[in-house]
Amino acid sequence: MINFQYLRTTTSKSALALLSKDKAAKFLAGGTNLIDLMKRGVTTPEKLIDINHVPLKQIELKGDTIIIGALASNTAVAEHALIKEKLPLLANALNAGASAQLRNVATVGGNMMQRTRCGYFYDTEMPCNKRQPGSGCGAIGGFNRMHAIFGTSEKCIAVHPSDMCVALIALDATVVLANQKGERKILFKDFHRLAGDTPQLDNNLKTDEMIIRLEIPINNLAKNSHYLKVRDRASYAFALVSVAAALEISDHKITDVRLAMGGVAHKPWRLTASENFLKGKEASTANFELAAKLAMTDAKGFGENDFKLQMAPNSIIEALTLAKSKA
Amino acid sequence: MQSSDPKNNQGDSRRDFLKKSSLITAIALTPSVALKAAESQADERFAELFEKIPLNLTVNNKAYQTSVEPRVTLLDYLREELHLTGTKKGCDHGQCGACTVHVDGERVNSCLSLAVMNEGKKVTTIEGLANGDELHPMQAAFIKHDGFQCGYCTPGQIMSAVACVNEGHTTSRSEISEYMSGNICRCGAYPNIVDAIIEVSKGETKA
Amino acid sequence: MENRMLKDENDRVDGVFKVTGKAKYFAEYELPGLTYGVLVTSTITKGKITTLDTKAAEKAPGVISVLSHLNKPSAPGYEQDGGSPMKIFYTDKIFYNGQPIAMVVANTFERATYAASLVKATYAKEEFNTNFDKAVADSKSKKLQGQPDYKRGVENAYKTAEVKIEEKYHLPIETHNPMELHGIIADWRPNNQLTVYAKTQGVKATQGTIANVFKIPVENIQVNSEFVGGGFGMALRTWPVEIATVMASKHIGKPVKLVITRMQMFTMVGNRPAAIQTIGLGANKDGKLTGITHRAFGETSVYENFTEGVVNMAKFMYQCDNVNTQYTVVPVDLGVPIWMRGPGEATGAFALESAIDEMAHALDMDPLEFRIKNDPERDQQRSLPFSDKNIKEAYRVGAQKIGWNERKNKPGSLIDGQLKTGYGVSIGVFNANRGRASVKGILKADGSLVLQSATSDIGPGTGTGMTLIASKLMKIPADKITFELGDSSLPPAPSQGGSATLSTVGSAVNDVCVALKSTIAELAANSNMDATANFVDVLKKNNLPSIEIMKQSQAGKEREAYSMYSFSIHFVKVKVHSLTGVVKVDKIVSVGDSGTIVSPKTARSQMVGGAVGGVGMALTEESIIDHRYGRYINNNFADYHVPVNADIPEIEVHFINKPDPYINPMGAKGMGEIALIGFSAAVANAVFNATGKRIRSLPITPDKILADS
Repeated sequence: MINFQYLRTTTSKSALALLSKDKAAKFLAGGTNLIDLMKRGVTTPEKLIDINHVPLKQIELKGDTIIIGALASNTAVAEHALIKEKLPLLANALNAGASAQLRNVATVGGNMMQRTRCGYFYDTEMPCNKRQPGSGCGAIGGFNRMHAIFGTSEKCIAVHPSDMCVALIALDATVVLANQKGERKILFKDFHRLAGDTPQLDNNLKTDEMIIRLEIPINNLAKNSHYLKVRDRASYAFALVSVAAALEISDHKITDVRLAMGGVAHKPWRLTASENFLKGKEASTANFELAAKLAMTDAKGFGENDFKLQMAPNSIIEALTLAKSKA
Repeated sequence: MQSSDPKNNQGDSRRDFLKKSSLITAIALTPSVALKAAESQADERFAELFEKIPLNLTVNNKAYQTSVEPRVTLLDYLREELHLTGTKKGCDHGQCGACTVHVDGERVNSCLSLAVMNEGKKVTTIEGLANGDELHPMQAAFIKHDGFQCGYCTPGQIMSAVACVNEGHTTSRSEISEYMSGNICRCGAYPNIVDAIIEVSKGETKA
Repeated sequence: MENRMLKDENDRVDGVFKVTGKAKYFAEYELPGLTYGVLVTSTITKGKITTLDTKAAEKAPGVISVLSHLNKPSAPGYEQDGGSPMKIFYTDKIFYNGQPIAMVVANTFERATYAASLVKATYAKEEFNTNFDKAVADSKSKKLQGQPDYKRGVENAYKTAEVKIEEKYHLPIETHNPMELHGIIADWRPNNQLTVYAKTQGVKATQGTIANVFKIPVENIQVNSEFVGGGFGMALRTWPVEIATVMASKHIGKPVKLVITRMQMFTMVGNRPAAIQTIGLGANKDGKLTGITHRAFGETSVYENFTEGVVNMAKFMYQCDNVNTQYTVVPVDLGVPIWMRGPGEATGAFALESAIDEMAHALDMDPLEFRIKNDPERDQQRSLPFSDKNIKEAYRVGAQKIGWNERKNKPGSLIDGQLKTGYGVSIGVFNANRGRASVKGILKADGSLVLQSATSDIGPGTGTGMTLIASKLMKIPADKITFELGDSSLPPAPSQGGSATLSTVGSAVNDVCVALKSTIAELAANSNMDATANFVDVLKKNNLPSIEIMKQSQAGKEREAYSMYSFSIHFVKVKVHSLTGVVKVDKIVSVGDSGTIVSPKTARSQMVGGAVGGVGMALTEESIIDHRYGRYINNNFADYHVPVNADIPEIEVHFINKPDPYINPMGAKGMGEIALIGFSAAVANAVFNATGKRIRSLPITPDKILADS
């Protein structure tokens, strides 16, 4: 690792000012992904701006909206009484990710900025369009068991590795970003990108911006929600597929529903068509099966990950069933 | 293992980079001797000084005032600088938990934390857990339940286990197992580790 | 090491050191002027280095030296012809991707790491093949006999049996991955005096290998390895990177520390070789085996051959008059494998023990009943009686503890919602070895006993076992006994491998204690003391601060009269999720039949650890290579899945605990291997019982459960 320059700042204003002076600088929050990538030579910033002391750690209810600061740790969010009560789906998703040690340090903003776990991305001697545009995609025609089935491109079939983000997209979160001129808001579903022709870009954060906070509207989905993560070992592993499922049921009818998946696309994958199908219908296994089938309309396997074409709908059914059974 | 980044080269460009970089932002973090040197056209020796920044850290209740390269991880700082080798390097990438220490009372992987990120913080390592010759109850419980074989993951397991109890994640065997899954044990002592944690969480072990 | 506040004599003698961080592993020794080595590795799989540019690295801050084939640091043994073709830094040839091609030595780890990234190589590439399956299938690829073919009775008798099965089983490459990263500290001093702090399963073996390469007397080399952070076989040899570090220290005249990365642990320090096996079984309708054929292909490297005992078990484990085996190794362009816990026997047992289950199913018999029916009375391979074998009792005990009576013989019978429950059983067996070792005993007038031997402890609790043997014989409390190991200057002992340490070194401890007792008795008699007098009083009376005896001990002719094995029976209960394909091991019962249990606490832990390793082998572990590039794709702890705490249920261990009358004075046999051997088949058999799906390719990941369902 190059002996980069290290700067520390205590306000978002000064952080943005430092960033504006050197676009090649990177913010350092928990560092659990960035330092890992730097050790592997995947990214080689010459300047790090430590923003851990910037006061963006709030977790609070304002009106009908839950506010979570970008620098709140994964643990702080997952263990917060407000989140456990109002957004258990988010708490469960957070606890399904990484380990207790990593969650203590990893931040909400950092989790959103987390890069893919694709082995080709991590090995600087292998082709990867995300790491080195134009070098090719190693995973296509290679080891792609962990890779995407939705929204893939010829340039990249990597998946977004976060669990937290799957819950956040399901919960209709909004992201508040800032640059030196001011703040802007973006829907969480629009924060991450599909790979398309620019797989090097994971998201729509501009180079002069930082993530300030999340705003999540409260809902009536807390009672019947479930985060299902299917993986190769029982814990501390990335998802083969994961499903965030939440239901609002009255008189056996589904009045509101949220469905999103992880481990299947370059971004957290919201299953809007399946949601629309389920709304107003009975919360029955038959309907869950139809919704799962609908979710798979545009799915495509790449050989080693073909099993996801079955595991994904199965997992949707299971997650919905478990969400419902919490009644 | 080679860097493809052309900027990422060597001494000369490194010094150029330092000259160009914002002195104002660096001032707060740079020893005054290095600053003086920088003003009078730093030579390589001073450039070296320049590359280290001051660090104030409390480890096991002992205060340290040193300077360190920003790229040095807390793990390597503890092991190679302070010679506190009880904290182990198992993967160096946050994937095994052998390097687990407490920072301000919370368990973290020291391999993914830069030493300089811990400015002003209190670090506790396995060496700081016992009270003199009196073992911490978790250490005693690990011996009683044989929660280890080769012993290499053990300091990390114990630091994690102490935190697990403090966090209150000990309501069942399965909860303990889940919250201890960030610590890999290749010898396979997991059930014994869970036994040790259950005993301590019930307050049965006296050191 | 000093004692230690033992609360219970069965606690580990080094427990306090390990739980306080005071146990020092190789990388943790402070040496004045210590420098840091970091490796540069090849980025191609096969060919030659054409250029190696080290200039930028040499100029980088803190760099002391860059070693490579360009400057060939002195190693006289490498200058001779012949020997191992992997002469590190003495060749420009590339045999596998990730092969070390240079070492940067600098004054800090960070500087060495950065400078290593500045070394640039170019290569002349050659065609390669890292795909073992392809090499086995390709009739043109090189194939070597791994072991002489074996035949008893009629060859391939299974083919004409009343009931027959013939199935193929695949095992991927597994990587040992002890938690401690591999490496060494080498400190070469003037007059060719060398001290190394090594991660080794054999300090004497390390000493001998280094002496051979550097052509200095073994007496000049001190090897220290008191604590080893796991080995599982990978530290049974001195790897080229260790030689390179010694070279570096000799070259620069300073101590050099090398700690390789977790990624490098996959390429340059061995692996469990991939295997493809075919088992043919024949039986009559009554369930008696009439033919066993076991054919195996094992992976090896192109530059060095590796073989192991993959087909051993088929020759004696079941009563059968017609048995034939064949074992072939097939080289691929990867680093050379090395024994991994259970070694080849664990590979073979997955196939054989799965096939036995398949045959029981074909016969519509309970697999336990089928095993008992074919349990051999004598070793048919060696035509000898077994020295000690209590398998039927072990089957009975384990079946009762797992709740075997809950099991249904028809697969897929136990369903609760999406969860299907199944039970599986398998057997593990390993040669009960006993080698030759020396132990020195120093009995002191202060009431303490020091025992010394150049053996190792990679985790099983060698010192604890030896202390308990001595404590029992000498009637000295365990906390008054110190067992010193991991030091090449101590009396010689073999490397820790093949489950032989307790039997081999323990026998020498026994013999030393017997000799000490008789010396004390003699002294007592000579000084007119009672024959039962306490040794402290006897020594004091004779004005002796201590007495010292060294004994060498080894097996005798009993091994010609008896066939000696350790056995284990593994029972596993699994729950398989129909929708997600996730297999959860719900309960484990392992029964050990390995003679007297000398150290009950550590013995139990060893069985538990073997089961955990077995869960990994069965369900999660596979080192994956992209054969287009010849590079590992999951070479880290995030993507190579060693089981975590949440994967493991409570594990019950039971020991038969009857002395083997012939093996050694303690009647104790090794357990390190049997704890793992066969386990993976018990899981696969349980998965079959739960789902009706027979998975013959490890690991049994969720996608394989979902396939064709």
